[in-house]
Amino acid sequence: MKIIYFFSIFVFTFFTSAAFAQDPGERLNKLEEIVKKQEKTIEQQQKTVEALKQEMEKQKSGRASLEPGAPSASPQSGGLFGGSSLTNPNISAVLNAFAYSSNLTNEELEQRGIPGFTTRGIERQRGFNLDAAELFIFAPVDPFFNFYTTIPVTEDGAELEEAYIVTTALPAGFQIKGGKFKGGFSRLNAQHPHAWDFTDIALPYRAFLGGEGLGGEKGIQLTYLPALPVYTLLGAEVLQGENELLFGPDAGSGPHAFSFFVKSSFDTSDNSTLYFGPSVLFGKTKSAVITSGSDPALGAELQGDSVLYGFEMVWKWKPSSQQGFTLQSEYLYLSQNGDLEDFGAATVNPLVRKQDGFYVQGIYRMNRWRIGGRYDRLAPFSDTFKLAGTEQDLGSAPWRAAGSLEFNPSEFSRIRLQYTHDRTAGDGRENNEVIAQFIFGIGAHAGHPF
Amino acid sequence: MRKLILIVLMIVFTSVAHAEERLNVVTTLPWIGSLAKELGKDRVSVTTLVKPSQDPHMLEAKPSMILAARKADIIMYNGLDLEIGYLPLIFESSKNPSVMPGRPGNFDCSRFVRVIEKPATVDRSMGDVHPLGNPHYHFSPENVLKVAEGMAAALGDLDQANADFYRANFEAFAVKLREKQKQWSSQPLSGKRFIAYHRLFEYLATDFGFRIIGYVESKPGIPPSAAHIERLMEDMKKSRPDGILTTSLYGKKEAESLSTKTGVRVIVLPNDVGAGKGTADWFAFMDATLKSLL
Repeated sequence: MKIIYFFSIFVFTFFTSAAFAQDPGERLNKLEEIVKKQEKTIEQQQKTVEALKQEMEKQKSGRASLEPGAPSASPQSGGLFGGSSLTNPNISAVLNAFAYSSNLTNEELEQRGIPGFTTRGIERQRGFNLDAAELFIFAPVDPFFNFYTTIPVTEDGAELEEAYIVTTALPAGFQIKGGKFKGGFSRLNAQHPHAWDFTDIALPYRAFLGGEGLGGEKGIQLTYLPALPVYTLLGAEVLQGENELLFGPDAGSGPHAFSFFVKSSFDTSDNSTLYFGPSVLFGKTKSAVITSGSDPALGAELQGDSVLYGFEMVWKWKPSSQQGFTLQSEYLYLSQNGDLEDFGAATVNPLVRKQDGFYVQGIYRMNRWRIGGRYDRLAPFSDTFKLAGTEQDLGSAPWRAAGSLEFNPSEFSRIRLQYTHDRTAGDGRENNEVIAQFIFGIGAHAGHPF
Repeated sequence: MRKLILIVLMIVFTSVAHAEERLNVVTTLPWIGSLAKELGKDRVSVTTLVKPSQDPHMLEAKPSMILAARKADIIMYNGLDLEIGYLPLIFESSKNPSVMPGRPGNFDCSRFVRVIEKPATVDRSMGDVHPLGNPHYHFSPENVLKVAEGMAAALGDLDQANADFYRANFEAFAVKLREKQKQWSSQPLSGKRFIAYHRLFEYLATDFGFRIIGYVESKPGIPPSAAHIERLMEDMKKSRPDGILTTSLYGKKEAESLSTKTGVRVIVLPNDVGAGKGTADWFAFMDATLKSLL
């Protein structure tokens, strides 16, 4: 608009200066004519501006051509994740950092495996630790697929933990997930560490699957939600089986891990919900981190088959937006058969494991505060670890108890203080941990499942 | 194995055969459910996911909600990111393609609304600001009328045999609303000034000509600090507002303590249809709201 205005002034000055060459009367006439012309132009421009303004106003109010039967809607609809993710996907970053203190040294922590379950110790340093800055990117691909990625960036570099698509157009309650994803076996596997209720994963997971649970696995998942009166989700997965503890990347030449799960739920009252279900994860195993054999420096490797059964149960009570209580428990049972090659003794012997574990935890929330407790224990009912037909003595059953206190300044920040009394080592040495954890999230983050 | 396949097939067929003749409408908020009932009458069956006693900002995608979405012909929601924490998850987990965004079974009520308070720039240091604008437009008769018109058309699109029925119900709704509006507008609210706990009543203020001159929350979604309350009390002593507006959902305690300190009365408004006595449908809810303001 401004340019036109300046242009008219310029034209006006040009003509006036040209007009000075003629006699005064004619000049005056011409000048008047020019001024009139200018006035007309300005008037017309004014009209155009008014019309444009009105048009904009109409569009703003969504009132353009409001006719019966054809209500006007604003052109931009909400989209699956709100806002527009056409040019930019939804991106969020979550920082997970903590300060750690223990009565054990860093070396003792690193070597603190669970005898008969795993040789993997606690990968935490006394002092300041950075778990990861996790990057989440997601958006619909088209009307048929949604795309999700999870990239935890640690001090060692970035890792592609998850990258998968989920179908949104399959009929009759079917859905396929494919790519690399956290599987549906049991409960904690599918949760990202920042969504855990404690700083570390429950003991049965650490003992059977490792410190991060099953983790991201390459494969495909089919789920089916029938339109029944009660929520019942059925699922099956074919996975590559790269989990170092339960399967191992070299255990089979193709996909060698499989799972089936059922998740069921109903509301026990207006304010409370029960969620539960069994699941099974099985496949071929080739793992060198189960037991150390006769010489810890050389180690031992198991080759065989594993079946891990799980049962999860969660009850949530939320009487108001100010307070709530969650009770959660899971039970895992492992049945494993194979040959253990002891590199130190240069022997191969059959190994049979039938071991189990459970945890139970409760979290109470009051406004911005949360307080929680957890008890986990291995081998409560079954502790078979038979090497070459002989039952091995693994010492007393490992257990752990933890308490936590959290302050959440907003939905996007969490400060947690946790104390853990850990009796998982065979030598009976305790590990008393105090952990101060900080979790902060920015950006558009997808909601967490129930 | 054969048995298992048979069982799965049976479940599939029963669930397909289960499809009712009535249109299965799922709504997030109670007021949307109330509108759907008003327009659909006996031709629709309405399931409402959020209870009037629940804060729609802070919910989880419960499996029962996902199951309701699985069976829905249409999901109607408030939009403007009010349900952002759980609704996207419900859509995806429902495994029901007809309610996915972009389909006729996905009805965003806010598309028909003249949105106010859309911030030019926003980040989370400002608190829980709604970046697409104030989402609490169910207090606004003008906007609810638009939503109802869009809703009748959407129902008619899905269930064309009854399109005229829905349209006629909308016409009746519009007539009733215009009548009620005269009654509501006759109340002397113009020029009144209130303090509010959360930014819930801006549409109400715009439509009925009163002003909200301060907030108990220091920032949206963040509980007030002592310093903020101190400042607010100073302001209130000078400005003498006509009341402190809040709902029974949250902020009632803070509002009451502010009231005892300043002598300004607390006005507890229903937050949605079904919250409190005499708010059985949207008209009753508006009646109760405007009555409380006097």
